[in-house]
Amino acid sequence: MHKSLGRRISRRGFLAGTGAAAVGVTFAPKVGWGVEEPKLNFYNWDTYIGETTLGDFSKAAGIEVKMDLYADNDELFAKLKEGNPGYDVIVPTNDYVERMRTAKMLLPINRALITNFKNIDSAFQDAEFDPGRKHSMPYMWGTQGIGYRKSAVSSTPDSWKVLLDSDEYSGRIALLSEGIIEAALKYLGYSYNSTDRAEIKQAEDLLIRQKPHIKVFAEDNGQDLLLSGEVDLAMEWNGDILQVMEEDDDISYVVPKEGSNVWQDCLCIPTGAPHPENAHKFINFILDAKAGAAIADFIYYATPNNAARALLGDDYNKNPAIFPTAETLARCEPSLYLGEEVERIREESLTRIFAA
Amino acid sequence: MSAGQGAGPAGGGKWTVLRRREAVGPLEYTRRWWMRLTVGATFLMLYAPIILLVVYSFNDSRRNIVWRGFTFKYYEKAWNNESLIEAFVNSLAIAVVNTLVATILGVLVAIALWRFRFPGKAAYEGFMMLPIVIPEICMGVAMMAFFARVGWPTGLPWPLTLSNIMIAHIAFSFPFVAVTVRGRLVGFNRELEDASKDLGASEWQTMRYIVLPYLRPGIIAGALIAFTLSLDDFVITFFTAGPNSVTLPVKIFSMVRFSVTPEVNAASTVLIVITVIATVLAMRFQSPSRRAGGEEG
Amino acid sequence: MESWRKNPVVFWLLNLGPAFWLFVFFIVPLTIVWVVSFGEKRGIVDIEITWTLANYVRAVEPLYLEIFWKSIVMAGIATLACLIVGYPVAFAIAFAPERLKAILLIAVVLPFWINALIRTYALIAVFRSRGSINFGLEWLWEQANGLLGLIGLGELALLGEKFAPLPLLYNNTAVTLGIVYAFFPFMVLPLYANIEKIDRSYIEASLDLGAGQWRTFFSVIFPLTWHGVMSGVIIVFVPALGAFFIPDLLGGTDSQLIGNVIERQFKSANDWPFGGALSFLLMYLTFGALALRAAVSGRKQGLEA
Repeated sequence: MHKSLGRRISRRGFLAGTGAAAVGVTFAPKVGWGVEEPKLNFYNWDTYIGETTLGDFSKAAGIEVKMDLYADNDELFAKLKEGNPGYDVIVPTNDYVERMRTAKMLLPINRALITNFKNIDSAFQDAEFDPGRKHSMPYMWGTQGIGYRKSAVSSTPDSWKVLLDSDEYSGRIALLSEGIIEAALKYLGYSYNSTDRAEIKQAEDLLIRQKPHIKVFAEDNGQDLLLSGEVDLAMEWNGDILQVMEEDDDISYVVPKEGSNVWQDCLCIPTGAPHPENAHKFINFILDAKAGAAIADFIYYATPNNAARALLGDDYNKNPAIFPTAETLARCEPSLYLGEEVERIREESLTRIFAA
Repeated sequence: MSAGQGAGPAGGGKWTVLRRREAVGPLEYTRRWWMRLTVGATFLMLYAPIILLVVYSFNDSRRNIVWRGFTFKYYEKAWNNESLIEAFVNSLAIAVVNTLVATILGVLVAIALWRFRFPGKAAYEGFMMLPIVIPEICMGVAMMAFFARVGWPTGLPWPLTLSNIMIAHIAFSFPFVAVTVRGRLVGFNRELEDASKDLGASEWQTMRYIVLPYLRPGIIAGALIAFTLSLDDFVITFFTAGPNSVTLPVKIFSMVRFSVTPEVNAASTVLIVITVIATVLAMRFQSPSRRAGGEEG
Repeated sequence: MESWRKNPVVFWLLNLGPAFWLFVFFIVPLTIVWVVSFGEKRGIVDIEITWTLANYVRAVEPLYLEIFWKSIVMAGIATLACLIVGYPVAFAIAFAPERLKAILLIAVVLPFWINALIRTYALIAVFRSRGSINFGLEWLWEQANGLLGLIGLGELALLGEKFAPLPLLYNNTAVTLGIVYAFFPFMVLPLYANIEKIDRSYIEASLDLGAGQWRTFFSVIFPLTWHGVMSGVIIVFVPALGAFFIPDLLGGTDSQLIGNVIERQFKSANDWPFGGALSFLLMYLTFGALALRAAVSGRKQGLEA
């Protein structure tokens, strides 16, 4: 018996349309059917938009924005996998852009409608994970590294060694529960995206050996553990650590010298979006200089929007935790989607590490 | 035994005062000091984190770690957070509908299983246990796949937009009600039922005046479980919710993953206060005669 | 018990609703995942149903069996703890005066109307190194040290140089406590419903005949509430087996339970067939245990009759 369990988006979209019509919704939900209703469903990470951005957009475009939140890419992906429940704009990270693009879960972006694309730094105008930027627009970018308590370390912990291969800070280390194999690969001198079984195994062994010295595999809350004094070193994303650095001067952030992960979150329109035209308007609005500056100034992540950066001061533009040096960046790699086989090998390694 | 007359840690003091001060009867377990101590300690453990949570909702710091002074600003923030309020209303609506339907279904099936012999009963009972046995995440994924495949409409107006979540909640919570009610039914004296029918009562009258009153504590317990399950469920709801049907747990989950702000504490505190008030009112309006029902055990 | 034939109208009235709901909104969705568990991944979202058993073979590898076993042990300990803590509470509620009873019942359930995740975070605030318990202990430590200083023993540092906070979080004990905390009312409520129906005259008889309170409890009360105990144990133990965010948040580096593995398959690993296989394996295990219990208690009832 052969049965394909692919997505049924077209049918679902159709039924959604008839459902809406049946209950007397007058706005046609499809572009081809007429003018789009002035609504937009934005699916975003928490604390990842300017304080007034949504209101400003509503005022400017007359479109009401509804924002929902998700906590990680896996959630976003799992939720859209079986069909889009009604979101118009999403913010996946680079490897998930690639995944979703490959799985035809993203609509192509009509560049003619994104007039603000010129504001984007040329380095971000094309991307390996989305050649020609056909399905994504850059939103923010950053790095992964080590957040630490300055008064508790003997010297700047600028190497993965401190976290992954040393007992100096035994019991005071928090690692993330995802991306540890990749970090270990980097420490061992391999590629962050290694597909070599032997190399992955080596990374796994290293982590199992280091386990007694690790306090916890955190669920993206390393910054809280750091701030509450539960641990003194935490593997985390730069933006998370930046948030707690504002609260506690004793906390700092460093990208390990072996290099790390550089990520990029993108604005995309998922297949089956009920309001694709509004989605284009919204994306274009976010790439605007003033709107982009307001967002960057509030969330303190690195923006690829040069026009927006020009409106911001030095404490943003010259902040080493936001914008690492070119030299550091050169050693960082983006995560790539490596195919199902490698994903599975890594997943099994992860299970063994946690079970050991 | 005078020890039993002190104010109990379980909040029993007021009730002791209202009663006549007499020796503790052999079955007045709530008036014994050791019982009060155990129960009081348990409640302390149960409530300490909640109290802390409430206290920190007034903390003038973005994070719940160090006390930085008293403020109401997070209540103001929560109040002005439209999506939070909307999620809150959604949650309550789902929980209420779920409690009603799940309790009815659960009681029906409990009575049916207790009363009747029928072919395939063991299998039926087994299937009934499925929602309890299945890991939440698996059920969430199953529900998501199901609603996506049948093409459940997404653009419905308000209460209907919650329909798929309600359906899923009812599906997983009514078996819990059934288990609880069945526990109560075991050992029910069927002669009472027979006597009622012999005396000319109809099937419905017997149910209404004999079986249901006896079941009342079981039904209350079951309804409480159903309400709690629904209000608390995150995993299954997450997978069935769309942009217009976010519930409080889903909303909160996405908020706390980046750190628990006092805003979340404030919202939770409001939830506690509302439920306390609702409960007190409900108890006020419940007439004493009805409360006495179903106590003949 | 009567045959359904004797009263088919009542039988169908009682069963139609629940059976419909269960079948359409539960069995059918679940069947989708069940079928997927016999599939193979063919890309990012495509799954081909080949009726392979490979996912199940993978699920019974020692790696996963060990995690299964660990989850069973942890859920078992947590359930037992829940029973030990919950029984007296249920008992007190059942024997409380009518009005107090309602208040106590609500008091048991109330904390659970706040989101489970928030409760777990609240628990973290109590247990962490700089949490309430450790702050309390530190205060006690300082007082004790001060006292020692007063009587001239301060120099000896009898209590250590510095207060060392207890590591209450990020270990398996914390996970167990978290599970107890999360599922507590599911133990108390069925117990309450059962204890409440005990015929008081049995207890009085036992006490009158000279048995002490303890003996009465273990020989009369507890056996009479056995069904409630079993209901409570089932609805605590089984969901506890699948718990995943409690070990995620409270656990240490070795607190991975089967729920975590299953969750990862459906989310980050994006391997629905394997996630489905693990879920169904867990379900079969639970069903096996339940059937065993039914057989045992059936035999017991037969003996008693």
